[in-house]
Amino acid sequence: MKKPDKILKTDKILKTDNLKIGYSSKKNSDNVLFENINLSGCDGELIALVGKNGIGKSTLLRNIAGLQNPLKGEIKYYDKILNDYNRPDFARMVSFVSTEIINVNNLKVFDLVSLGRFPHTNWFGKLKPDDINQSLKALQMVGMDDFSRKNINEISDGERQRVMIARTLAQDTKFIILDEPTAFLDLPNKYETIHLLNRLSKQENKTILFSTHDLNIAIQEADKIWLMMDNEIFEGAPEDLILNETFNKIFENTNLHFDKIKGDFRLKRKHTEKIGLSGDGAYYNWTKKALERLNFSVEKGNESISHIKVRSEDGQPEWILTSNKKAHTFKSIYDLSLYLKVQIK
Amino acid sequence: MLLKKQIIFIWIILIITLVGLFITDILLGSVTIPVKEVIKILFTGQTDHSEYFTIVYHFRIPKALTALFAGFALSVSGLQMQTIFKNPLAGPYVLGISAGASLGVAILVMGISSFAIVSQFGVLGNWTIVTAAWLGSGLILFLIMAISARVKDIMTILILGIMFGSATTAVVNILQYFSNESMLKAFVIWTMGSLGGVSLAQLKVLIPGVIIGLIITFLLIKILNAMLVGENYAKSMGMNVRLSRFLVFFSTSLLAGSITAFCGPIGFIGIAVPHIARILFRTANHKSLLPGTMIIGGIVLLFSDIVSQLPGQENTLPINSITALIGIPVIIWIIIKNQKLAAVS
Repeated sequence: MKKPDKILKTDKILKTDNLKIGYSSKKNSDNVLFENINLSGCDGELIALVGKNGIGKSTLLRNIAGLQNPLKGEIKYYDKILNDYNRPDFARMVSFVSTEIINVNNLKVFDLVSLGRFPHTNWFGKLKPDDINQSLKALQMVGMDDFSRKNINEISDGERQRVMIARTLAQDTKFIILDEPTAFLDLPNKYETIHLLNRLSKQENKTILFSTHDLNIAIQEADKIWLMMDNEIFEGAPEDLILNETFNKIFENTNLHFDKIKGDFRLKRKHTEKIGLSGDGAYYNWTKKALERLNFSVEKGNESISHIKVRSEDGQPEWILTSNKKAHTFKSIYDLSLYLKVQIK
Repeated sequence: MLLKKQIIFIWIILIITLVGLFITDILLGSVTIPVKEVIKILFTGQTDHSEYFTIVYHFRIPKALTALFAGFALSVSGLQMQTIFKNPLAGPYVLGISAGASLGVAILVMGISSFAIVSQFGVLGNWTIVTAAWLGSGLILFLIMAISARVKDIMTILILGIMFGSATTAVVNILQYFSNESMLKAFVIWTMGSLGGVSLAQLKVLIPGVIIGLIITFLLIKILNAMLVGENYAKSMGMNVRLSRFLVFFSTSLLAGSITAFCGPIGFIGIAVPHIARILFRTANHKSLLPGTMIIGGIVLLFSDIVSQLPGQENTLPINSITALIGIPVIIWIIIKNQKLAAVS
């Protein structure tokens, strides 16, 4: 193993080499989930593994975390094959957070975090002052230092996920692998958790790999995306994958497409009727969204067809719909949409 | 979270209670012996009344020691099973150890003796019965070990253990059906458990067996703590899953198997006591839970033994019924008070 100070930022310290993953079976042929996986990760990178349900994300992560053996091919850390490391050495290099929810009565947050010291302590698991300090520091890094004496089942899902991350920090590994760390979290906690991972990858110079369904978060925070498609796997900076249209391949058979300019996902809508819209700023944008939801094709400033004018004088907005030379005024987008729904019928 | 002072206080109370009950257990019996004489025998080994000496030295001390070590062994093995299977209702017998032992005894008492090879098997607790019980539980242990080396999922092992237990019980039932009245009674009495049948000579085998089992368990504190978060996490922290399972099953079988061989199956202690320790120490950390469970186990079984002698004279109640009558209210109380039993262990 190379000494960490000799590693260049461009060195691929994590590599998969023609990896074939799945479940082996003695009687039947192997159940192959994915093959020809060639991916890599560098020093201090936050890597998001993205792909649809059941495609083998968890299995790939379990293979890379050394919890399951590949059917074929190799996983290399620092150019050394994973199985050539002994367990304790490997546990000092790679830590793992699964989707399992730890729900043990009377288990203190500190006790759970200090379990991360497992590969560093002796057979009796005696915590030396240094082990205690590392565990407390880990809690501090995730902002949970006030929770160390709480029970693990008395804290929220977001807090528990941060504690699980603190456990990997106490394990003091170069690599951290997390399976769906945002699965049970609400939106603010999702962003905070992934942002925390981003911060740790930069500040602590760790290579962090996580799987997620949430492309938006992955695009914003990850240095690199591993994108699992039906038969192929792509890797690259999220921006590269956007610009070369790789993301749209995910949605080939769906109603979704990825908007390259705006950087988010849109439903492909079948517009039935045209409508004109004029107005300014946020009022214009949100009215347009609402109209599109009602399957109108919005034409900016076109007054030759039915059209809507948004006015917002004195902070009191008004929507004026002119249709067949009759004008209707509405106080909210909701009222406007109710009227339009009746009209469409 | 308990303060250090509170924990020390709990420990002092527990140890005083244990010593107090141990002495009380020796004081009580069908023959009334003055306290002074008992203390004299206990501390100097001498007395003017030789019959007192015989009763105290050959009957009461072995019985109290048996109760003490049976309490230690059953509750500690119950704790181990609850932790490894992450199941609050697991006990020392979930692996089928007692079923195996009763099969051994059933074959001896009702099978072999019906062919008149052993026409008189004499008093319960003699070496033949002990050996038969040991062979029976050893067979089950061997099966469990063979399976645990091959099966990955720990829950599968739990289910197979219960299946073995049920299958063995079915065979025992068939034997019971075909055996004659006196044999049946002898067997049923064995299943009721007895602390009084262990001689001083047998204690010289039983106590070292239990002590070895306890030493192994105390060496496993770190591993048991890691198992709280599941085998996957434990493996990712560098734990050797196969070796750990082997050691836990081995020590459990040694503890529960030895006690069952000498005393018959004694229920409820193994399930209830770990919960009492959890409530008392409010922790899931085996560093305090394990010694706590051990001491409380000794206390509860000594107490049960004292209660079983309450009718006085020659009659003592079957110990198995007493432990059930004490254990069940405790479990009910815990469930109602705690209502989070599902998350325990």
